[in-house]
Order: sequence, then structure tokens, then C-alpha cells
Amino acid sequence: MSILEARDLRRSFTSTSGMLRRHRKETEAVKGVTFDIERGEVFGLLGPNGAGKTTTIKMLITLLLPTSGSASILGYDVVDDAREVRRRIGYVFGGDRGLYERLSALDNLRYFAELYAVPAREQKARIGELLELVGLSGREGERVEGFSRGMRQRLHIARGLLHDPDLLFLDEPSLGIDPVGARELRQTIASLRTQGKTILLTTHYMFEADELCDRIAVIRQGELVAEGTPAQLKQRVTAGSVLEIDTFGGVQDRLERVLAVPHVRSATVDVRAQAETLVVALDSGSDVTAAVLAALDGIPLGRVVAREPTLEDAYVELVSS
Amino acid sequence: MSARFIAAMRVLFVGGIISFRGLFNWLNPYIYVPTMLVAPIFQVLLFAYIGRSAAVANDAFYLVGNAVQYASIPCLFAMANTIAGERWTQTLGIVLATPANRVALFVGRSLPVIVNGGFVALFTLAVGARVLGVTIPAGAWPGVLCAIAVASASCTGLGLLQAALALRVRSTAVLSNIVFGVLLVFCGANVALDAMPAWMASVGRVLPLTHAIQACREIVAGSAVGDVLGLLGREAAVGGVYAVLGLVALRFVEDQSRRRATLELQ
Repeated sequence: MSILEARDLRRSFTSTSGMLRRHRKETEAVKGVTFDIERGEVFGLLGPNGAGKTTTIKMLITLLLPTSGSASILGYDVVDDAREVRRRIGYVFGGDRGLYERLSALDNLRYFAELYAVPAREQKARIGELLELVGLSGREGERVEGFSRGMRQRLHIARGLLHDPDLLFLDEPSLGIDPVGARELRQTIASLRTQGKTILLTTHYMFEADELCDRIAVIRQGELVAEGTPAQLKQRVTAGSVLEIDTFGGVQDRLERVLAVPHVRSATVDVRAQAETLVVALDSGSDVTAAVLAALDGIPLGRVVAREPTLEDAYVELVSS
Repeated sequence: MSARFIAAMRVLFVGGIISFRGLFNWLNPYIYVPTMLVAPIFQVLLFAYIGRSAAVANDAFYLVGNAVQYASIPCLFAMANTIAGERWTQTLGIVLATPANRVALFVGRSLPVIVNGGFVALFTLAVGARVLGVTIPAGAWPGVLCAIAVASASCTGLGLLQAALALRVRSTAVLSNIVFGVLLVFCGANVALDAMPAWMASVGRVLPLTHAIQACREIVAGSAVGDVLGLLGREAAVGGVYAVLGLVALRFVEDQSRRRATLELQ
């Protein structure tokens, strides 16, 4: 039995506007999402902002009722057996809020240990193990308000693991963390993976998903548009190759001309400071570099590189197609 | 005892204290002393001197009425803030995603609030008596303590009902201020229920504090606790009804939040 089964999950929101003449607007945020997560698996749910990731997670962690469809965790329905589901899941979201700032890390963990009914005689040892796991041993007596974002995020993970959940939800855990903190966080998640924890991870960082996830689903505008291992997703574009061209202004106006070049499957612009990098996905076996460069005639160009596709290329192609 | 019962008891007592510390650690002496210990003395003095000028009632009447009524400040504001504060710290979604027994969770948060409300009323009564020269017999203090404890618990029951609103609206302080004013007028702190129009007295009888204030006045005047058990029982019943309504409302609003997506996670 899969640890999580989501079947045709849907969620709509109704918003109203206007004082006298009320206008109701119905928005379907999640449009029939179906997927399974197996025990011991790290499952990535990727998608752009507003794609429906957090709404899907809210339904799975019982904080939001689906409009239709169903989901179960270890056989417990997220609507009808909410309390049983809550006993078996842990939830961690990104950002630096969500902790009692004026309490110490230890007191934060003690409080949630009580809420998750961790027996009193086990709490001390369990909290000690988790502080060790997330690298906060020795800092547990300090108030959280003095912690860095990375430390807070690792404390969040320790909180989410207090009751040894069967399934851990990590919703953009590396959001806003500096590279060193993010690396430490990835190490923590990797060690959880080694311990056989089942994790649902959402992230915007493709290298993170590539490094950590066994399987990935890509969600776009409330619908799953692809699912598979990172290698399988890359396969979607490895049938071709990728051309990266650094440009210095004006490339957006030429996108249509580039897309019109035969064998060009997609073209996107990645803006980095002064430079804009044009990323062009090409059909396999095609050599249209000269034609693409001709389409960019008159624009100052920098580095031109042909390379193998990455997970990020696959992701960009999936969410922008 | 079942593991679930023990877990609920720990949420009630241990969880209640930790969450109170987590949500009210900002209440340092610079804030606590002026708002909880000095301000009620001003209120006592204001009404005692108005009473003296109008020659309506003695100082003890206003002292007891206002000291007990001031327990509503910590009871109403703090109880509502046990939910509103969670929204501020963005811990509400995380707390509600836990399997913790909701009755234990919310009632547990009320226990430190009741103790604080009782302390504020008792302190105001003791200091106010000293300032105004009102003599409270030593033998009356255990009874006074009992009446104040019931008053504080009863008022916290009303605070629990307000806490349910905090699951839907962000600012609860406005409502707390209004309810404080309603209690000041209707619960007989400064105008005896007998002197009020009938409808006002009727409203007062279904509000917390009214019966406890009357009981406390009688104890200070020399009655034994046994003589005011009826009043204290009515006070406890009124508070109990508000507490139950509060818990039902919390359950209802939490359920509606899941349906209507009004709970923000972060």
C-alpha cells in the first residue's frame, strides 16, 4: 500500500468583490491531482508560484477540505480521519516564522512534543537526538529570536520530526536561506532520506530536487503535467540539446524569431544582473546554432555554449509549454 | 489511565503554561506593572471619589466592584490573544495541524490567564483598600480569594468565546475593549443592580463577574463563604456556559476555516 494516495484532488476558492453589487469569482486552484507516494521515498512536488503546490499540501495535512476527490495517508482519509492523519504526519514550511520567538529552541520542541503526545519519559531523549540531527546541540537553551534563518529552518525540521511521523511534508524548506544554510539543510534532508523517512518536498531549486528526490511531479496551473524520476524528466529533453547564449539587451524582442527557427523546441530568457541568458532547447541531431545566432543579429552577444539538458531545462519546458 | 487521557492532561497543564510563556513573554515588568497593577488603582480611585462626591455608596462598594471587574482586562484580552497571538507568530496553522485534544489545548491556555486575572484583582483589592483606608477583616481574605478565583475563571469563559472570533478576525482588541466597557456598566461594579433599569439588571445577571462582585462585597461586609455559595454557584454557571459556548464556537470556526480556507498557514 502506498503511504499517500491522492485521487483527483480538486479545490476551488470563491472570492467576492464590490460593496453594493457583490461579484463572486470562482478560482480552481487544484484541478484533479492524482499521485501516490511510496514508503521511504522522497517525492518532489515542483511548480511555479501559484501552481497549486501549497493548496495541495494544505489538503493533505488536513488544514483544507478538498472540493472533490480524495486523499488518504496510510489508509486514513484526510477529511474523515483528520486526527489519525495528523498523528502520522509532520509538516514544515519555509520562512523564518512559525516558532515562538521568545521561547528557547528547547521549549519550542517541548511544547510541540506535548501537542503530538510524545510520552514525557521519551521527550528528553527524542529532543536530544533531533537537536543532534539538525546540528543545534548546545544551542537549545537560546531564544529562537536570536537564531539565523537556517537555524530556524533546521529547528522547524526537528519540530516536524518530534513524533517520528510516517510522512514528512517539507514545503519550500530552503526558502530565503543563504547558500551555507541551504547546504546544511540539504544535508539534513539527505540524512533523513538515508534513515528511510518518507518525504514530500516542494522546492523552487531544481538542483535541490535533483539531488534529493527519488521521484518528481510537476504541477502547473493546478494540474500535474509530468511525473517520474529526475532522470525520466530529463529524458523529456535529452532527446535534444540545449544552447545557452549570453546576451546584453533586446533578446526578449527576438524570441519569436528564435522560436521560428526549425528544430527549436522552446526558448526562454534567464535574466541575471546585466546579462540575459537565452536558453534554447533543440531537437536531437539538429545543428541550428548558426540559424539561432542569425535570428539574434544586431544584439551584443557573449558566451555561446551547447550542453546537455538539466532538470531545470525539463522543468522550464514543462511549466512554460 | 489511558495514554490519550494523560496526553490531554499534559496538553492542559504543561502545554498551557509553555504556550502562555511563548505568547506573553513580551509582557515584561515595564508593561505589566503600569497596565495590570497601577491602572486598576486609578479606576478604583476614580469611582470611589465619584461615589464620595455623590454620597451614593461607601468606598468598599467601589473598591470591591472595580477590583474584581478589572480582572476582565487580563481575562478578556489575554484569552483572545492566545489565538490572535498565534496568528501573529504564524504558529496557528502548525498548532491546528497537530492531533492535540482541542478542549485541553484551549482550556489549558486559559489556566494561566485565570491565575493572572485573579492576581490582578487581588492586588488591586489589597492596595486599593490600603489607599482608601478600607478595612477588610483578615478572616475575610480566604473567602475573597475564593470569590475572585471564581470571577476570574468565569470571565475567562467569556474570553474563550472571544478567542473563537480570533480564528476569523485578526484584531480582537477592539471587541475586548467594548466587552470591558459593557462589564463596567452592567455587572454592578459601580451601580448596584437594584438601581439599574430592569433590562440592564437582566443583562447584568447573564454576564460574568456580576454575581462574584456581589458575593465578594458580602464577604468583605462579614458574610461567611457558605452564605454566598448560591451567588458563587451562579457565577460559575454563567462562566461555564460561556466557556462551553466558546469551545463549541472554536470547533465550529476551525471546521469552517477548513471549508472556507480562512486559516493562513504562513
